[in-house]
Amino acid sequence: MDYRIKLAKRMLFNQKGSMIGAVLAVTIGILVIHVNFVIFQGLYDAIVRDISEYSTGDVIVTDEFDFIDKSDQSLVRWFERIPVVEAATPRLSSTAEMNMTKNGKLIEESRIPLVGIDPFNDVRASTAHETVSDGSYVFSRNSIVLGSNVARDLGGAQVGDNVKVLVVDRQGEDQIRRFIVTGIADSPGGSGFDYSGVIHIDTLRDMMNRPGDTGSFMVKLYDDSKALEVKEFFLRSFPNEDFIAETTEEASEAQLEGFRSGIAMINIIGYFGMMASAFAIVTIQMMLVNGKTREIGVMRSIGAKRKDILIIFIFQGMIIGAIGAGVGTAAGLGYTVYAKESKMSFNGSLVLEVNYNWEKIIQTALMSFILAIIASLYPSYRATKLLPVEAMRSV
Amino acid sequence: MIVGSSGSGKSTLLNMIGLLDHPSGGKIFIDGTDTTTLSDDRISSFRNTKLGFIFQFSNLLADLSVLENVLLPRQIGGTDGTAEKDAIGLLDTVGLRTQLHKRANKISGGQAQRVAIARGLINKPSIVLADEPTGNLDSVTSETIVQLMKSMAKKLNQTFIIVTHDRQHFGDVDRVITIKDGKAFEGDQPSSKMEVLV
Repeated sequence: MDYRIKLAKRMLFNQKGSMIGAVLAVTIGILVIHVNFVIFQGLYDAIVRDISEYSTGDVIVTDEFDFIDKSDQSLVRWFERIPVVEAATPRLSSTAEMNMTKNGKLIEESRIPLVGIDPFNDVRASTAHETVSDGSYVFSRNSIVLGSNVARDLGGAQVGDNVKVLVVDRQGEDQIRRFIVTGIADSPGGSGFDYSGVIHIDTLRDMMNRPGDTGSFMVKLYDDSKALEVKEFFLRSFPNEDFIAETTEEASEAQLEGFRSGIAMINIIGYFGMMASAFAIVTIQMMLVNGKTREIGVMRSIGAKRKDILIIFIFQGMIIGAIGAGVGTAAGLGYTVYAKESKMSFNGSLVLEVNYNWEKIIQTALMSFILAIIASLYPSYRATKLLPVEAMRSV
Repeated sequence: MIVGSSGSGKSTLLNMIGLLDHPSGGKIFIDGTDTTTLSDDRISSFRNTKLGFIFQFSNLLADLSVLENVLLPRQIGGTDGTAEKDAIGLLDTVGLRTQLHKRANKISGGQAQRVAIARGLINKPSIVLADEPTGNLDSVTSETIVQLMKSMAKKLNQTFIIVTHDRQHFGDVDRVITIKDGKAFEGDQPSSKMEVLV
């Protein structure tokens, strides 16, 4: 082994306090970035996941000007012939007024989003049915699932209660139907049907006087990375229609834009943390150099060149960076595994969508390793500038 | 041997000869080379190959073993296959054959100074410069070190330049230079009749 590497290791490992301090600085820098990533990217991905699972699928198809008048079953079958498509389902939306009598008191609520779903296809293309915590999902023409907030606003609607729903049809006429509450939907994070009512799509079509019309198609894929391909294939296949096809992120751009800026800010704060660790390394290595001044003088006196001294201290920076990056990455991965396995959430809100982003993990480890080396440059340079005779006077 | 009272400039002269310090004026020639014109890297190489050092405080590297300390000058210069054999041979000569792998900070002051002598000799330098080599040792150990240096000088036909303020300790030496009032005189005691060297 080269004597410089041996000396660098020995000098560093014999100063355990300084070494642990420097390694901890790197470790904490990496850990902060990992924790930030797990929490904020996890929240972002959880929101995208919920939007995708409850509202848009991996690809959502709408009409640019009006409702889709193509047969919903034929479009569903068309999509499901694509190998990467798992399921597709039509949906129709409107707003409604609802009222119910609870304990002899009539309670009315207006402007409640009302979603029409196809019970057979919806459970295949969406996980919205899994948010029904009480009762069951829509299964018949006269059943309604109320979002937990709607149920609360209606005075505490429960499964089995009767709800009167008023929708204004395309001619401007009020259409009133009576439904039986079959379920209450409550999603963690509230991005499911918590603020809506859900009924059978055909019932809603009848009420809106729009037989055969569909508001949108949710398309769920086996592999969401193929969303763009499916979207483009669909648009190419129907060039003469006014369809709009969007991926989840495109469809939710306005909703996600602010969050993305927030994540960028948090990442910047994380990288500032890493810079702070670099300054800590500079300080600790300056202490290491100061503690080894006499040794530097002795080495210079027996023939070591400036570059030899430089190599010794830069190599120390590399050791600190390598150990710190290793420990920090291991600690960060440990936290990531914990967050994933424990389905981490805050205050019972939505469960973080934790992913192992290896590119980011490797990038963070490499960046802190390089920063540790850069941080060791100045102390190393200072070490080379010591005059042997001056250095040896140091005790 | 260079002698003189404290503060007379003995160590400064030795540091100049050892290229550890730069003269504010004049030139230093070693083996016919004007060392004041050399680059820092050349000076380092020069120190490594032509000069050996023994300091008052042995100045061993505490992070290395006895053997590694002796090997260090050879490794700095680019080690050869015989380095370890030579180092062990020297440590055997100075009586430390059994201490090879002990950490340098775990041996006594006298042993450390013997290691420093072995380190100073490992590259077979033209000159070994010793600055108060016994200045930090008790009288018995000092005597051992003096005898060791003398025997090594004889055995290896090695030139030693020793700076000391304790002339008596070293007994007979080939040449004595006395520094006084910034001037160097040939002989033990400076007098107006002696030749002024500098």
